[in-house]
Amino acid sequence: MYQTKRNYILPGMKVSEIILENPSLLLLLEHFELNFPFHDKTIIDLCSENNISIDVFISFANLYNGFSPAGNFSFAKEDIYSIILYLKNSHNYYENEKYPEIKNYIEQLYQVNSLPEIKLIGKFFDEYFEEVKEHLAYENKVVFPYFYKLLGKQQTETGGTAFSVKEYRDHHSDIEFKLNDLRELLLKHIPVKNDRVLRRKIITSLFEVEYDLNIHSTIEETILIPLISKLEKSLIE
Amino acid sequence: MNKRRINIAVLEPSPIIFEGLSNIFSKSGTYLKLYRIDILNEIENLPHIEKLDAVIINPAQIQNKIKDFNVIKRNNPDTYWIALVYSFFDNQILSHFDKTIGITDSMEFINELINKLGNSDSEIHAAEQEHLTDREIDVLKLIVKGMSNKEIGDALNISIHTVISHRKNISQKTGIKSQSGLTIYAITNKIILLEDYTN
Repeated sequence: MYQTKRNYILPGMKVSEIILENPSLLLLLEHFELNFPFHDKTIIDLCSENNISIDVFISFANLYNGFSPAGNFSFAKEDIYSIILYLKNSHNYYENEKYPEIKNYIEQLYQVNSLPEIKLIGKFFDEYFEEVKEHLAYENKVVFPYFYKLLGKQQTETGGTAFSVKEYRDHHSDIEFKLNDLRELLLKHIPVKNDRVLRRKIITSLFEVEYDLNIHSTIEETILIPLISKLEKSLIE
Repeated sequence: MNKRRINIAVLEPSPIIFEGLSNIFSKSGTYLKLYRIDILNEIENLPHIEKLDAVIINPAQIQNKIKDFNVIKRNNPDTYWIALVYSFFDNQILSHFDKTIGITDSMEFINELINKLGNSDSEIHAAEQEHLTDREIDVLKLIVKGMSNKEIGDALNISIHTVISHRKNISQKTGIKSQSGLTIYAITNKIILLEDYTN
C-alpha cells in the first residue's frame, strides 16, 4: 500500500492525474465529498467549487502520497470545517464499510477453516470493533461538537463532558495496535486451510483500513489538536 | 521478525543533495524513514517516532549553534550523529559528530553505515529469531491468564522490570501486542490448550 516514490501534489495539478498516480486518493476525495466526474479540473477548481480549503486538501493529499507532515501547518480557523468534514466521513467509511467488510470475511473464513483460533479471531475482532465504535461515537458526540462550539466563538462552559487530548491519543494507539495484531496473526501464525484467497482479501482490507487510519490519526494529532489548542488560547486572550 | 524500521532525520538545505541521499538509502535494503528538517530544533518535535536512530547534518547548519546542538544531543543520547560534508570544515566542528559522510563516499560505504544502524541494537538482533525462550513462554502463559506485570513477577520470582523486558521481547518476536492477540498466538502454537483458555 505504501509506495515511496510519489510526486508531491500541488494545487495546479489535475485531479484525474493525481488519482492515476495513487488510486488511494479516491478515498480522500470521498471523505471530502468531492464528486465524479472530474473532467479536466485542477485541485484548485474542484476545491473552490465545493468550498473545501485548498491548503487542507493539499496537505492531506500529500499524506496519502507518503510525505510526512513537515514543519508547521499554518491553517486558518475556517479550515477546521474542512478538516472535520473529512474526519467525519472517514468515520463513516470505517464503521459502515470497512469494518463490516472485514467482519464478514472473518465469518466466511470460519466456514472454510473452522479452527478454534479462527473463532477466537472473530471474537477478538468483534470486541475490537465495539471499541472502535465507542471511540468514533466519542469523537462524533463530544470532540467535534466541542470544536464547532469553539468556532462559534463561544466560551465553553466549565463542567459537562470534558474533552481530553490525552484520552483522545490513548484511544488511537489502541485502535492501531489491535489491527496490527490481527494482521500479524493471519499473516504469520494461523495455519491455512482452503482459505488462501479469502485470507488475501482480509489482509488486503486490513491494510486498506490501516493506511487510512494512520493518516487519520496523523491528521488529528499533528494538525487538528495543535490547531484547536491555538484557537482555545486565542479565545482566552 | 523483520528488522526494525530506522528513523533518520536529515538537516540539509540543498534539495539535490537530500534527494540524492534518499535515493541511495532506498537501495540500502534497510527499511527506513527519512524526515527532512529545516532547522535543528525540529528534531525535538518529530511526530510518531519511537526512536530517532540517526541525524544527518550539514555542519554549516550548526556552525554558530554548537551550544544548542550539544543540548539536543544530550536530550537524544541514543541517536547517532552524522556529519554530511561537502566543503571544508574545521575538525573542531566535526569532532561533535559520531561519524562523517563525505560527498565523494561510495554508495557501498554509506549503505554499510546505515545497515549497521539497523543491527546495532543487540536486543533487537536477538529478537529476529522468532522462537520464544522457555522463560518467555512462562511469562506468556501468565499474560494469557490476564495477570498484571506485578502478579507475573511474584509468581515467577522475578522483578517487574524483568517481566516488562520479557513482554517487550515477546511482542517483538511475535509481532503481537495485545493480551487477546497473544492468547490466540499461544493457542495456535500449542503453548496453552484451548480447553485451559475456555475454562
